[in-house]
Amino acid sequence: MKKRIILVTAIITILALVLSGCSTSNQAAANQTENDTKPKNLLEEVKANGKIRFGTEGTYAPFTFHDETGKLTGFDVEIAEEIAKRLGIKAEFIETKWDGIFAGLDAKRFDAIANEVAIREDRLEKYDFSTSYIVSKAVLIVNEENNDIKAFEDLKGKKSGQSLTSNLADIARSFEAEIVQVDGFNQSIDLLVSKRIDATINDSLSFLDFKKQRPDTPVKIVDQMDTKDQIGIMFNKGNNELVDAVNKALDEMRADGTYLKISEKWFGEDVSK
Amino acid sequence: MSDRMVRIVQILTDSFLPLLKAGIQFTVPLTILSFFFGVAIAFVVAIVKILEIKPFAVIARFYVWIIRGTPLLVQLFIIFYGLPSAGITLGALTSAVIGFSLSVGAYGSEIIRGAIRSISEGQWEAAHALGMSKVQTLRHVILPQAIRVAIPPLSNSFISLVKDTSLAAAITVTEMFQVAQQITARTYEPLWLYTEAAVIYLIFCSGLAVLQSRMELRFGRHLAK
Repeated sequence: MKKRIILVTAIITILALVLSGCSTSNQAAANQTENDTKPKNLLEEVKANGKIRFGTEGTYAPFTFHDETGKLTGFDVEIAEEIAKRLGIKAEFIETKWDGIFAGLDAKRFDAIANEVAIREDRLEKYDFSTSYIVSKAVLIVNEENNDIKAFEDLKGKKSGQSLTSNLADIARSFEAEIVQVDGFNQSIDLLVSKRIDATINDSLSFLDFKKQRPDTPVKIVDQMDTKDQIGIMFNKGNNELVDAVNKALDEMRADGTYLKISEKWFGEDVSK
Repeated sequence: MSDRMVRIVQILTDSFLPLLKAGIQFTVPLTILSFFFGVAIAFVVAIVKILEIKPFAVIARFYVWIIRGTPLLVQLFIIFYGLPSAGITLGALTSAVIGFSLSVGAYGSEIIRGAIRSISEGQWEAAHALGMSKVQTLRHVILPQAIRVAIPPLSNSFISLVKDTSLAAAITVTEMFQVAQQITARTYEPLWLYTEAAVIYLIFCSGLAVLQSRMELRFGRHLAK
């Protein structure tokens, strides 16, 4: 018994030594590069790398999705590309699921998120945002045969299909709807058509794009929120230089008409207000 | 044919090659690499446990306990998103292979341990009486028989691994199911595209099932019928 305890202690000690050895050598390597090139902020870092990495879903039309040829495109993608161009670097997109997207930013798998993220109080505590580049209007969608739900207030106790961490889910919760967790917009629509949920709150632009693709689907909008959500590019805190540079790029795009061009290309209207 | 059917057939034909490509590019190599490393880990862990090689047997138990007791998705998240804060940043594919290998290793080790245990104790004793060491007995007497027993359950793991690889989408690997979701986002035909992806998974797994029966034949060739 005693022998075993000694063995276990020995193993743990060895493991601890190996692990700390790894981290100190990493630390040393990190210090090395820092000394070589002077301490950098994220803006200088992305400029030195020649690219800024954006986390995005790639499955949310018309904001971030793959076209017929398989190329990643969409409103958010083009805005991000234009920002990168104005910073004099390339945009690289790293595609991940919505539910892993904040974790990816935390782990610095990418430098920013361009994925219709609403600027919200609770998010501002941990993250920084660019100025708003699109406003999102939440609409209430139900099956065409449903005549019980006419307004958000009717949601009480009804099943609403939402992705769990999105601001749209919070709206549904505020009207005391029962949340049915879904992976994204498409699943919500499917569940609506098969009447396994009563409603879904989603973005109006997303719904319009869907109706364009599938006009025969028996779903309709019955209500829309008066307040609009401001959507921004999301960053980890402490990268003010990069946020400022992105804001400057956005301002320039608004001033010289590039923003309007992208907005009209995707939505036929100015979506900044 | 109605317009809608025409449209769906069009979407399905257009998406078949991209899906197959993602399958061949990510799903297949991810599965094969993870299974290869996983079985290697499984063998080591099983043998360490059988021969009670201290202190490794303790580590082996701890490893199997952790991996079997926590969800694979959480393990992938920790490897991909958690390790960078400890200074270890691995690529998405590497993280996926490590996560899946560890998983196959933990479950597989129990399969192999069970297979080894299924060979009667008398054979160990007989080999000992002949002057063979434990390692020799394992190598020349027990393992050749145990492998035959282990093939059906290991094939099960292999085939379920093919489908588990779709979890890699959560850590930014664009494997087959993720591509299906990308096409769905543009066409809004989830049911049809997911079914198509399922058919491709089925094709891959059918190939593996054929491989399994071949291996069973091969390792059973010395058996008296």
